[in-house]
Amino acid sequence: MLLEMILNGKSVSVEIEPGDLLVQVLRERLGLIGTKIACGEGECGACTVLVDGVAVTSCIYPAMKAHGRRVETIEGVAQDHELHTIQQAFVDHAASQCGYCTPGFIMSAKALLDVNPQPTRDEIVAGISGNLCRCTGYYQIVDAIEDAARRMGEGR
Amino acid sequence: MQLKAVGQGVQRVDIRQKVRGTRKYPQDFNMEGQLYAKVVWSAHPHAVVKRIDTSAAEAVPGVVRVITYRDVPVNEYGINVHDQPVLIAEGDKVRWVGDRIAIVVAETERIAAHARDLVQVEYELLPVVDDPRQAMKPGAPLVHEDRESNILKHIVIRRGDVEQAFAQADVIVEGYYTTHHVEHAYLQPDAALGFVDDEGRIAVISSCQWPADDLHQIAHMLDLPEDQLREIVPTVGGAFGGREDMYIQHLAALCAFVLRRPVKIVFDREEVTQRTGKRHPFYMRHRTGATRDGRIVAAQVELISDAGAYASTSIPVLGNAASFALGPYKIPHARVDAYTVYTNNAVTMAMRGFGATQPPFGYESQMDKLAEALGMDPVELRLQNLLDVGDIAVTGNVMTAETGAKETLRQAALAAGWREEDGHWIKPDLGTPSAPYKRRGIGVAIAYKNVGYSLGYDDKTTAKVELSLAESGEIARVLVKVAAVEVGQGVLTALAQIAADTLGVDVDKVRLALVDTTETPDAGSSSASRHVFISGNAVARAAAQAKEKWQAILRDETGEMHVEAEYTFHGRSVRPTTPFDPETGQCEPHISYSYAAQVALVEVDVETGQTEILKFWAAADAGKVINPIMYFGQQAGGVHMGVGYALTENYIQQEGRPRARRFSEYHIPTVMDMPHEFESIAVESAPDPNGPFGATGLGETPTLPTAPAITNAIHDATGVWIESLPANAERVWRALRAAHKL
Repeated sequence: MLLEMILNGKSVSVEIEPGDLLVQVLRERLGLIGTKIACGEGECGACTVLVDGVAVTSCIYPAMKAHGRRVETIEGVAQDHELHTIQQAFVDHAASQCGYCTPGFIMSAKALLDVNPQPTRDEIVAGISGNLCRCTGYYQIVDAIEDAARRMGEGR
Repeated sequence: MQLKAVGQGVQRVDIRQKVRGTRKYPQDFNMEGQLYAKVVWSAHPHAVVKRIDTSAAEAVPGVVRVITYRDVPVNEYGINVHDQPVLIAEGDKVRWVGDRIAIVVAETERIAAHARDLVQVEYELLPVVDDPRQAMKPGAPLVHEDRESNILKHIVIRRGDVEQAFAQADVIVEGYYTTHHVEHAYLQPDAALGFVDDEGRIAVISSCQWPADDLHQIAHMLDLPEDQLREIVPTVGGAFGGREDMYIQHLAALCAFVLRRPVKIVFDREEVTQRTGKRHPFYMRHRTGATRDGRIVAAQVELISDAGAYASTSIPVLGNAASFALGPYKIPHARVDAYTVYTNNAVTMAMRGFGATQPPFGYESQMDKLAEALGMDPVELRLQNLLDVGDIAVTGNVMTAETGAKETLRQAALAAGWREEDGHWIKPDLGTPSAPYKRRGIGVAIAYKNVGYSLGYDDKTTAKVELSLAESGEIARVLVKVAAVEVGQGVLTALAQIAADTLGVDVDKVRLALVDTTETPDAGSSSASRHVFISGNAVARAAAQAKEKWQAILRDETGEMHVEAEYTFHGRSVRPTTPFDPETGQCEPHISYSYAAQVALVEVDVETGQTEILKFWAAADAGKVINPIMYFGQQAGGVHMGVGYALTENYIQQEGRPRARRFSEYHIPTVMDMPHEFESIAVESAPDPNGPFGATGLGETPTLPTAPAITNAIHDATGVWIESLPANAERVWRALRAAHKL
């Protein structure tokens, strides 16, 4: 069957099999390896992508559900050579160590800031509470998102 | 030497690619014509495999081969001892649920997964040994039938006259403390891609911690010389000790060896959780005696650790645990008996702390019990007894320059609000609990750990430094070749900083080569908090030699454009360590040390037993801080793992069968479980003159005191002692009910 979606701003058509998960289509058929599989049960958020602006865990998301929708992955976040403000804040706050959870955190942060550009610290914590990190202790990630919101606010 | 990079918050060298999602982990690699493999795991924790029937699986279209024990040239491996079969043979035993029966290789992952369920295995069940305390008794069923007993190792330490000293103590406190199995829970599931490279070598792209040791084991398994093998280590998504043993790379290498085609294996989370090693549970029986004025006169402890089905590194883990069993204290009369015992539970192995993580729960609970019995402040009691430079440890060694225990505790306590008046320490006012059914408490703990491999092991790293010179003769680029695996801890950045300042170049001119056993020399394992100290010394010395050669080129105007230098640094060149004396345990155990002292301010809901951490202070002395940003990362990340150890994580097995499969059933702390406020304190009071720029190592120490700091705070809040980890809501609730006879 044919899955058609707007992937990172471009129309994409891809032949898939029934039962394919969105993460499999992204990684295996489209070569977008930035979306990570860590738990396979929608528990850790490493596979987070945005579908019509909403953060979803693509490891349990049937690929066909994305048909006709806008899908955004980590590969679509940076503008060419420029890092997105959220990515730059993650760099500046050392909010990535092993890095395996990082794309998922950045997508969750983007979903949050796209709808709530000036979140409180508690709202940031709630916004990433579905993402697991085993390395950082999370403080740097919360700091980075807080800082990104501030910088994006100044840029507006 | 002018420091421009060392001590600065230099940006991680890998972070820009990590935030873009372009950094490739082993599962991100694919090759033309690759096959996919799935492992057939043992269905039982202890059984004889009577028959293996692969015919139904082989008949599935798309299945290329079912690999069994018959395909393994030398069917054994293991990090210290080759005591694990690669694939279980008919007539042999499975000893835990992580043993492997066969590997199904197919054209697609789905076919391989389908076909593995069709491999028929006939078992004859054997009695399961699931408690090391029972397993060590005479007559217990043997996990390894060729041994006389399940006791893998017994270590003793004897110092002074313990019986006489206890007789003279004014106060004696006792406790029986137990810790649990813990999963490393690195986010990146194990993955490997085996292939035959252009020069005919059996090669594997994999996540690991020690490529040279993997190669050593794979060479034995395939009966091939190491120069016909190769391991490439791209980005690794966390390790924490869990990738020090091989769980996947040898299987991928075996598949490539048998089939001469690329074969990819990726574990799912259930396999990572149930079929790979864990942190050792310990059972610790303590007795501590002190004088009325708070001087420890005697201490003894019996430690029993659960080694699981195979030895892995259980013996060196036990060695560490024995040496740290009684804490960083002056104890003139001491007795330690430490055992590690085979069972049919999960293999237990290295995990952040390597035997130094479990003992603090025992010795720091004892210190708070002692403080309460004496009516003394817990900080004051500890400061009175902590080791200082020149003091003698229970293993008889003299504590050296990097002994930062007292200052680390002092700074943690002061930050948390303790004050010192007339030589006495007074704990801070904790404020009012946020609800009538909540109680506040504050707890402190200190712990220490070795840096580098201990007890006579030759810990070493070889590093190569290559300089490319510009026309002007200046250093244009620096390439460092050293097989130090970046697992997230920041070793690539730290070594680049050390190389940059040694050479006097900007850090962005330094690049670390991709770890590939054909290119990068052995740097040992990413473990034991050792890379900054051991590999840092190797890089610094290789860089210093390269600099001398470069200066000679400039002086002699030879016009050469390339400089190379190589240096092998041995830990023993700065401090030779020795094994335990078999009768007394006296020895020089460790190359260097680091210290961590932590304070937890908690609120316990006495109706549910739930503990919330309001604020946490983490002080650590690891000598000179190489990179303050990454130092914070180790502190906060270490405390994260300590919070999980203390409150939320528990890998439960019943008769050798694990209960948890995935993160929904094994709870590592989320952002909401972390202390609401967190303060990291870099002490830097006790640099090690042997470390590069005075640094020791910080990778593990911040995890060690977290659990006892929290349980001591729970005691302060509620009056109950929690003697078994984790101190989850149920356990605290039960303890409260028992204490109040409800």
